[in-house]
Amino acid sequence: MIKFFYKPKGAALAFMVAGAAWFAVGAVYGMFSAIHLVAPEFLPHLAPLVFGRERPVHVNTMLYGFVGTMLIGAGLYYLPALLKTRLWSEPLAWVAFAFWNLTIASGPLGFAFGFTQGREYNEYVWLADVSLMLAAVCLIVNTVLTIVNRNEQQLYVSVWYFMAAFLWTAGNYPLGNVMWHPATGAMPGLIDSIFLWFWGHNLPGLLITPLATGAAYFVIPRVSRTPLNSHTLSLLGFWLLVALYTHIGGHHVLQSPIPNWLKTVSVVDSISMVLPVSIVVMNLWMTARHFGARIWGDPAARFVMGGVVWYVVTCIQGPLQSLPFLQRVTHFNNWTVGHAHIAMLGFGGYIALGAMWHIVPLVTGRELYSQKLVSLQFGLITFGLTGFFLVLTAAGLIQGTAWHNGETVYRVLPQIAPFMASRAALGVFILTGSLVGLFNLFMTLRHGRVMEVQQLRHAEEAA
Amino acid sequence: MKMTPAVLIIGALMVFWASAFIIVGIPSMTMKETPSEIWRQLTPEEEAGHRLYVINGCSYCHSLYIRVSDWDIGAERIAESGDYVGVEPAILGTERTGPDLSQEGGEHPEDWNIAHFTNPRHTSPISLMPSWDFLEEREIRALTAYVQALGGKAADVRQARQRQWKTQAVAAYSGGLDRNVEWLHAQVPEVWRRMPNPYPATEAALQRGKRIYQQFCINCHSPIGDGKGSAEPYLSPPPLNFTTLRRHVVENRYIGGIFYYQIMNGITGTAMPYFKKHLESEKIWDLANYLAVSFVGYTDANIEPRGIDASYEGAWRNSYPPPGTEAK
Repeated sequence: MIKFFYKPKGAALAFMVAGAAWFAVGAVYGMFSAIHLVAPEFLPHLAPLVFGRERPVHVNTMLYGFVGTMLIGAGLYYLPALLKTRLWSEPLAWVAFAFWNLTIASGPLGFAFGFTQGREYNEYVWLADVSLMLAAVCLIVNTVLTIVNRNEQQLYVSVWYFMAAFLWTAGNYPLGNVMWHPATGAMPGLIDSIFLWFWGHNLPGLLITPLATGAAYFVIPRVSRTPLNSHTLSLLGFWLLVALYTHIGGHHVLQSPIPNWLKTVSVVDSISMVLPVSIVVMNLWMTARHFGARIWGDPAARFVMGGVVWYVVTCIQGPLQSLPFLQRVTHFNNWTVGHAHIAMLGFGGYIALGAMWHIVPLVTGRELYSQKLVSLQFGLITFGLTGFFLVLTAAGLIQGTAWHNGETVYRVLPQIAPFMASRAALGVFILTGSLVGLFNLFMTLRHGRVMEVQQLRHAEEAA
Repeated sequence: MKMTPAVLIIGALMVFWASAFIIVGIPSMTMKETPSEIWRQLTPEEEAGHRLYVINGCSYCHSLYIRVSDWDIGAERIAESGDYVGVEPAILGTERTGPDLSQEGGEHPEDWNIAHFTNPRHTSPISLMPSWDFLEEREIRALTAYVQALGGKAADVRQARQRQWKTQAVAAYSGGLDRNVEWLHAQVPEVWRRMPNPYPATEAALQRGKRIYQQFCINCHSPIGDGKGSAEPYLSPPPLNFTTLRRHVVENRYIGGIFYYQIMNGITGTAMPYFKKHLESEKIWDLANYLAVSFVGYTDANIEPRGIDASYEGAWRNSYPPPGTEAK
């Protein structure tokens, strides 16, 4: 039993499997939420499944549980692989695994029964916050000591991102969650919204983005079998990300009475985010240039490159919708819900899934049970998410323009009903995609064909 | 530039903390908590309601600030930073699947709110809000208290108006069906009481009116207009039974203006809300025609005085006989 926790790459695999499971859980809650926006009396009188309680379970399970967990798992594999060493401590990674997943489990187990701090993206109660911080600290220690004990002089860009993700989160999370106020996790008064959105935006920006970028930087050059295009662009992308992203949370409360200078900073830096994003995307794109067939022909790398495409869409839309003039129409409605989905499932989720499918054979020594099922999952999620994005964006534009035309929120409800129904229907595709993935992963672990030593070595050295 | 572990770790931390200082550090040192002119302290019951608001995720569908651009709800008062003093947490919200609630206090009387929390469709037939009937009665009362406090002192003024008129409305109702209608009609300004509905009650207009009735009115006033909708058990005074209005047509001629005025302004103190933010003029007149034709059996649409017909109007002529004049 004890030996189990010392088995190399064990924690990496555990994180990825947990991520795939959380994906299915989060998708189920998303499905219920979507149905409730069409039929509010679906499963009535069931307290844990009212919209106000199921929505945070969906959101947090997807963010931290699916995307975060899976990307950490990928990182725990590529970090030592890129440093030509072993993870400093496998048991410590398991400790991080336990704390991290405890926090996520507190969502479905807690929010549904009123144990929540209620602040969007900061809902976990104080004990769960502590658990998440302990996980982050364990990961920092493990990453630093793995770097210290490396056999490869150069730190590849994926290593920077993986390291920095937890250094930033360890500062970010307690600030945004106001952990020094354990009861409410909030500051009194309006200033709370500034703390709230500091983490609210840095969660995607300085936790998920670096993890996903790190994974993309790992998978793309390996599958295209070319060296990374440019070290300089990597540097620029990395430093501009943290220099700009940290400032932009204010654009979530742009129309509220927060100080004007904060609004200005958040808008200017939001627009500037186009720079690091396009630098990263260009760097990956140029790396894969001339090798498109290798990337798009490989189901795992297709997911990763698909995620990069969603990243482009997200990060053109995101800066634009921070503009006050546009936000008058797009704020408070389904437009932003569409944006959140292409950011988290599109960018973060695609890269997480791609990295997982790429790495699982390297960790287990087994071939994927079915490449076709990976492609099927890609197709299901891509159809679902693309539809989601179009439908929600359209619904948001209808709401936003109707409100400015003097229609009340209540009056516009019949107009968005067909869009909400389509969204629920499209959700079925995403839910099915998550289940197909879980099945494929399970079958790989149980029945995947064991690779010959030679074949495994070849796969590991693909780059 | 070579990324050594030291450059990576120290650099990443320095850039992050410098940025964090700008974004949360400086606001913490400079933002002042000065109460606005409508701010007041929440009572313990309202605090308990706020807690329920937070843990049940009301903030995922309701915002708590009115923006300059919110013309749909009038934007009579734009949110100020001093409105949130001491509220922990003041969740501003990011979605409006339901309406903004920052000035909700006193919009409706308590009984409307309790019916609404028990099942939102009691009062708002097409609402997407979940029913909160699994909460204890005490909790629904606390939530109601919190909602009624939203808007601070401005809400208190509205609340006082609700209470003042509720006393009179309940007294009028206890005087019997006809006394109640007489009291209600007496609250309508004189000019409106003798104003016929200027819109023809065409088939299309009645269909429009029916649609509006189903979206706004049906669960209080019921599908047959007798005031026994699903919300009725919660409300005091109960919703009006339209069928008794046949005895109260003004001068046996006029009813449209009274309908219009009461739909437009509501009857503050009772559960009857005002609809002038939801519905514009033609929709209210269409609804008035629907009520009149369906539940009173008579409409004053297009009768004299009516001036010059609008250019689009066809040759519709009112053939509804006033009550008591029907050919036997």
